[in-house]
Amino acid sequence: MTSPTGGDGTIRLHKSTYMAQAIRDAIKVFEDFASFEMTRDGDYYLVQVTNLDPEVDGDLAGEFCNFALVHTIERKRRTPGAAGGAA
Amino acid sequence: MASHNIESFDAATSTATLALDGGIYPLDVVYGAAYALIDRCYVLLDKESGKGGRYLVHLRGKSALDEIGLQALSGEFGNELLSQALRRKIVKQNGAIIEEIVTTAIAGAAGATMPTDFVVEEEDDDLDFLDDPLGIAVPWEEKFKKDKSDNA
Repeated sequence: MTSPTGGDGTIRLHKSTYMAQAIRDAIKVFEDFASFEMTRDGDYYLVQVTNLDPEVDGDLAGEFCNFALVHTIERKRRTPGAAGGAA
Repeated sequence: MASHNIESFDAATSTATLALDGGIYPLDVVYGAAYALIDRCYVLLDKESGKGGRYLVHLRGKSALDEIGLQALSGEFGNELLSQALRRKIVKQNGAIIEEIVTTAIAGAAGATMPTDFVVEEEDDDLDFLDDPLGIAVPWEEKFKKDKSDNA
């Protein structure tokens, strides 16, 4: 991995390790800084990142992934046994 | 170490990739280790395709890291994995005891074990604040006054 976006502006998050709702939460938080579109592709959620605000300082994709991961962890702690792919 | 392999280092992008055997490190443990390091690096969790595939952990430094820095970060992640695995094992072993202690504490706080001495008997409610069975409210002069005839 050079970057979670893989260079083409698409973040690939595995369904067994990220919850869909956590990704949606992350999109809500970061949508002021870029446009996001979430789709599914087999075992992955794909998040297309476009229109990145040029004034954003730092790694938006990296922060997005961390946010989605933390929210997945917190949601799973609240609801043990929750399915990773819950939509 | 077969269960925790460092797959690659890329100093150009400050990224280290680790592969973890899911049979040894359950997802909860991987989550715990990732959570502990999330303030210092970007973490992306992936999984190899196929049933029982390994977890792939991509760690990217928030600041530029050379290969030594990446090795240190990977080592810390490995240590955190062990710590989380041990913590999980202890919680499993002592789960029943922890549950009992918490139950007792909650029951105590709810008043289930309140001693009977503290229970106010109903007959006490009949007492009026004007009642003075011991004569405490009677002034001293009134209580001990002597007849003038005694002095004479």
